[in-house]
Amino acid sequence: MPHDEVVREAPPDASEAGVAARQDAVPDLSALRPLDPRVMKAWRVAWLVRAGLAAPAAVVLLLLGRGLVAVALAALMLAFFAAAAFLPRASYRAWGFQLRPAGLLVRHGLLWRTVSVVPHARIQYVDTRRGPIERALGLATVVVYTAGSRGAAVRIPGLDAADAEALRDRLAALGEADDAV
Amino acid sequence: MTPSEPQRLHPFTVVFDAAATARGFLVPALFGGVSAGGGEFESVLTWTLALLSVPTILFAFARYLTFRYWLAGEELVIDSGVLSRRHRVIPLARIQNIDVRESALQRICGVAELRVETAGAGETEATLRVLGRAQAESLREALLAGRRTVVAGGDDAEPAAGEAEPVRELARLSARDLIIAGATASEAGIVAAALGGALQLLDDLPIDLPAFLPDPERIVELSEDTLLIAVVSIAGGLLLIGWIFSILGALVTYHGFTLEQTSSELRKRYGLLSRREAVVPLERVQAVRIEESWIRQPLRLAALKVETAGGTPQERQRGGAEAFLPLARAADVQRLVEAVLGGLDYDALRFRPAHPRARRRAFIRYTIVLALVAAGLTFALEPRWLPFLPVLPLAWLAAGRYYRNLGYALAPGFVVTRAGLLDRITWIIPDRRIQTVHLIDSPFQRRHGLADVVVDTAAGGRLREAEAKDIAYADALALVRELAARAAFTPAAAPRPASAARVPHPPRGSGGS
Repeated sequence: MPHDEVVREAPPDASEAGVAARQDAVPDLSALRPLDPRVMKAWRVAWLVRAGLAAPAAVVLLLLGRGLVAVALAALMLAFFAAAAFLPRASYRAWGFQLRPAGLLVRHGLLWRTVSVVPHARIQYVDTRRGPIERALGLATVVVYTAGSRGAAVRIPGLDAADAEALRDRLAALGEADDAV
Repeated sequence: MTPSEPQRLHPFTVVFDAAATARGFLVPALFGGVSAGGGEFESVLTWTLALLSVPTILFAFARYLTFRYWLAGEELVIDSGVLSRRHRVIPLARIQNIDVRESALQRICGVAELRVETAGAGETEATLRVLGRAQAESLREALLAGRRTVVAGGDDAEPAAGEAEPVRELARLSARDLIIAGATASEAGIVAAALGGALQLLDDLPIDLPAFLPDPERIVELSEDTLLIAVVSIAGGLLLIGWIFSILGALVTYHGFTLEQTSSELRKRYGLLSRREAVVPLERVQAVRIEESWIRQPLRLAALKVETAGGTPQERQRGGAEAFLPLARAADVQRLVEAVLGGLDYDALRFRPAHPRARRRAFIRYTIVLALVAAGLTFALEPRWLPFLPVLPLAWLAAGRYYRNLGYALAPGFVVTRAGLLDRITWIIPDRRIQTVHLIDSPFQRRHGLADVVVDTAAGGRLREAEAKDIAYADALALVRELAARAAFTPAAAPRPASAARVPHPPRGSGGS
């Protein structure tokens, strides 16, 4: 389906059907696509790395006789372990995205839940990024940039590397529809 | 005159450049030497620093000699740098705004400073300090005319560059207006001026305190009533001084304020001692902000700001607000907004209120904040329960006011949001300036089924943004989708974030593994 045609040629149709069609092109919260489940493993590893950094530091501090600091650090380490156990699954469920002819929707966040919509016409450029853990697991992050100020960069982490590249190229192509300065 | 040949700045550049560098170390050094009463060490220090000014002047001279600017077709080119050379190319089409400033000293010398902003990084993209006044003005007109021609592109409808455009005066502030503006300036400004005045006062305080002020050593003997009266009268006096300073400040800063509009630009001029002329292309306006402080709201007065994606030097960030009218009557807002944005009937806007539970949330929030303040005050005031007495009524009043100020409105082609506790801030954003739309709900909001909608534009910083706060979740989602649809199907004219010349525009679809 030629998505970019829809964006480029959209007539300013004021009729009810036109408005409805416009609305249908905009993403909603139904049937969001999840991330690649492997991302949970990546997040878990990241938390375990943090815990792993805290552990030797706690031991060293204990040997130096800074008991109270060591206990605080140990508590932090336990919190990291707990995060590794519970957070990845919860945040995996919180993440979701959807690509419609008019825009990209990304939902994320556990406490402060954010739903961001980026109209394709506003995309300036698109990146894919891969950190060491993501590379090991064959994952990638897509970042969409707009000319905005606060929400200028919208991120989708934990996509299969090949899917991420395809998504990036698709978004980049859609973003080219409107190049007015 | 169009300088297509490489031009030098005005020779006075050396003076102002050196002065600007010198101010950093010379003034403190001289002050230090003088106030220390000419002690041995201090005078050595002063002389060392004074000698540093010689290389400063030489360097300023070298900078002057190496600085060249010219107009090359559709670009402003600036060559600069003594040791490391810089060649900067600014496409005229990317210009966000042009400022011509003259400090009092520069006015005496008949020179001016010209600044060009693009949507790039925080700092000003081109600062030509200094040019002869006529030179600055003709360069500005050449840049603007060039920009108009480039932007018009192949369209033949656009009048040829250099042709004078009809100018319409939008507003002019009389001395009376400025007195009102200063008198109703934000409370923060008045307090700041008061504190400044107080510091001055403390410096110059005569040894003999006026009779009505208690001698610090006798304070313990005074009854609490007398002390309270003294404190209140001092605070009142300082506020009065701050108020007067605020009025004088407005009179000096905004003297002769004129706002004009041509078919494609907004121009404003003001200043008694240092003068400033700013030009903002109308198509660069990202949003208009209407600020009604709690003092001005009952007087039916407001301040209007224009948001562009150009940086302002003061704020060191991308996105800048130009106070395009420091004082407007509420009755004029409709006309001014129409002139700048076109096609919005401001007075006919029907604001949808926030969800009623927003008031309850605000009440709880303010109660917590005020209770904390009161808890702090219990240590100072004698009946321990006294500070807690006004907590609930004050929180109730504040929540009511906050709730009444919340709202959003949709008009054809525009979205308008409004919020603020003391100062009511209204954002007007054209559909084509919407960049992204966000729906955010906190755990507390989720309990009540509420959410915030944030409308992001290329203007504004991190703290200032258009938000429809505390509306029902379903309404928020519908609003997000409506705005996304409008943004998607309205041809954008958004500036690119990449800077004019320094950073090459990142290729689309680049990056990756």
